[in-house]
Amino acid sequence: MTNDLIYNDLRLMTNINGMNIIEIRNLTKVYDAKTIPVYALNGVDLAFREGEFTCIVGPSGSGKTTMLNLVGGLDSPTGGEIVIDNTDITGLKSRMLIDFRLRNIGFVFQSFNLIPVLTAKENVEFIMQLQGVNKEQRDKRTLELLDSVGLSDKINVRPNKLSGGQQQRVAVARALASKPKFILADEPTANLDSKSAENLLEIMEILNREENITFIFSTHDPRVVAKARRVITLEDGKIVGDISKN
Amino acid sequence: MNDIRLAWRNIWRNKRRTLLTAASIFLAIFLALIVRSLQTGWFDHLISISIQSYTGHIQIHKKGYWDDRDINNSMPFNDSLTAVIKATNNVDKTVPRLEYFALSSYGKQTKAVMISGTNPVREDALTHLSRKVIKGRYLDSSGNGILVSQGLASFLDLTPGDTVVFLGQGYHGISAAGKFPVAGIIHIPSPQLDNQMIYMNLTTAQYFFNAQDRITSLSITLVNPDEINATVASLRSKIGGEKYEIMRWDEMMGEVMQALKAKIGGGKIIIAILYMIVGFGIFGTVVMMTTERTKEFGVMVSVGMQKTRLAFILVLEMIFIGLTGILSGVVTALPIMVYFHLYPIHLWGGMAQAFISFGIEPLMPLAIKPGFIISNIISVLIIVLLTCIYPIRKAFTLRIVESLHK
Ligand SMILES: Nc1ncnc2c1ncn2[C@@H]1O[C@H](COP(=O)(O)OP(=O)(O)OP(=O)(O)O)[C@@H](O)[C@H]1O
Ligand SMILES: [Mg+2]
Repeated sequence: MTNDLIYNDLRLMTNINGMNIIEIRNLTKVYDAKTIPVYALNGVDLAFREGEFTCIVGPSGSGKTTMLNLVGGLDSPTGGEIVIDNTDITGLKSRMLIDFRLRNIGFVFQSFNLIPVLTAKENVEFIMQLQGVNKEQRDKRTLELLDSVGLSDKINVRPNKLSGGQQQRVAVARALASKPKFILADEPTANLDSKSAENLLEIMEILNREENITFIFSTHDPRVVAKARRVITLEDGKIVGDISKN
Repeated sequence: MNDIRLAWRNIWRNKRRTLLTAASIFLAIFLALIVRSLQTGWFDHLISISIQSYTGHIQIHKKGYWDDRDINNSMPFNDSLTAVIKATNNVDKTVPRLEYFALSSYGKQTKAVMISGTNPVREDALTHLSRKVIKGRYLDSSGNGILVSQGLASFLDLTPGDTVVFLGQGYHGISAAGKFPVAGIIHIPSPQLDNQMIYMNLTTAQYFFNAQDRITSLSITLVNPDEINATVASLRSKIGGEKYEIMRWDEMMGEVMQALKAKIGGGKIIIAILYMIVGFGIFGTVVMMTTERTKEFGVMVSVGMQKTRLAFILVLEMIFIGLTGILSGVVTALPIMVYFHLYPIHLWGGMAQAFISFGIEPLMPLAIKPGFIISNIISVLIIVLLTCIYPIRKAFTLRIVESLHK
């Protein structure tokens, strides 16, 4: 209980400092509310700032995925607010929310989730097509992005011909394509061998350092945790730790 | 434009799925076309048989003759009427006939017969009567030799060269009597007619019935049967609708037509059942491929694609697949239809016997008509569009988090 209060104070301070791109207030998610309610998230308050490289950890079932889904607007909370760039996304209608995701949020999924019928280039381009970016700019940016994740030679290859690590790098390039405010990645390295995982993290780090891309990711892998500059610990749907390193 | 490219790319990047769906659509249109072609061909065959074997496309009678086929309802027939009719657009051949009942007698037997007085040359041109001769010879252009149908001949025990006596009532009730030499025996496929028909020269019949220059009917065939209504109208205006009844073949074959229409109606039920089966087949593949792609849809919506746009692309995909299936179905069915239209299937065995006993050539030609081809294409398109309801519903009710776990 006292712990909670201390964290609340800390968060209030960061709020005062400004520059928060995400503010989460009293976020609650209850599954199976009618039978045996499961509190996947239980009154979470949290803020993220631009340029963060943040890792969310916690035991299985602690609510990591739930939180990332809610912040990404893929699911709706039972209670609380998620304010991104002055917009409370929990109040957005479906169409607006989809549009909001398109313009503001990049996603990297645990199981890659590239669109199987599209090549690496087309997967990256897809989001820009949705945004209505013209062909010339699309081509230019797609090539730049695939280059930045080290896949210039796999441009016209479809996902089933790429390794897991390569697919996840395409996914990172795709997430970046829309120039989002931040990228959410739920256990991005869970399906990768350690070498690919390391490689992916390195790429994410470089993007974060050199282009100030905000990353919020979850993991069980201690080596990944070690790379994070801020580590938030969840347990039973509550934040039990929030440590920033420099 | 973008969406069209996207949809097109989607379907051809997953050939197995596309071909499976297109194949079921192909099957639908292919089977429907062949079945319809057979039915229509069969219908047309029956009609052309009855037109060719008897009625012609149009007949002209004295008003009232069709309901009361009495010799007193005959009409005068002369060169000026012939000239007017011959000059009418679209008229091909004409055959004047004088037909009435009489009593035949040979040896100890007597029997009622139908005497058809006709022009031997023109009759042959329309109904190929000479081909039905099985014994003796065909009618001469003059002379009073007659053709006797086979059933009747065996009842009376007639052979060519015998002389048969006819008794009856002529025009205006004058009694008619005459002796006629049998020129030939003919076989008529229809048993009913085969037991009662006598053919003779028109002038012979006119003399026998005391009906000089009169006929009961004038059969007309047309160059283009599809323009029958225009031809009827122009005949009516030329010779006058008050004095004559000008009937189309389908009016004359009223009952037969009704029976045939009922048959075709039954055929449409078969097509409807076929469409239902194939419709469910198509629906099945659509459900399968939609379920298969749930995760893909989830990804697209999570990264920012609107559900309406997703649904639109899915419909486009279905339309492309549908058109592919339909086009290939039509392209495959057409040559088969053309071939069996030109070279009708010859029936065999009991089926052929049944046909022959009804006086119908045992042929099964396939018909090709733009009408049924287009209506079947539209039906299949509608089925395809109906199956789109499923993926549209899926797109709109998509739950992202769940779909990503698939
Ligand atoms: N769709 C759902 N229906 C019911 N309960 C759910 C659902 N999704 C998650 N939960 C429950 O919510 C709690 C939090 O789950 P969540 O997936 O967020 O945990 P996590 O921290 O991501 O776990 P892991 O490390 O295994 O991925 C768990 O108790 C889980 O059983
Ligand atoms: Mg999880």
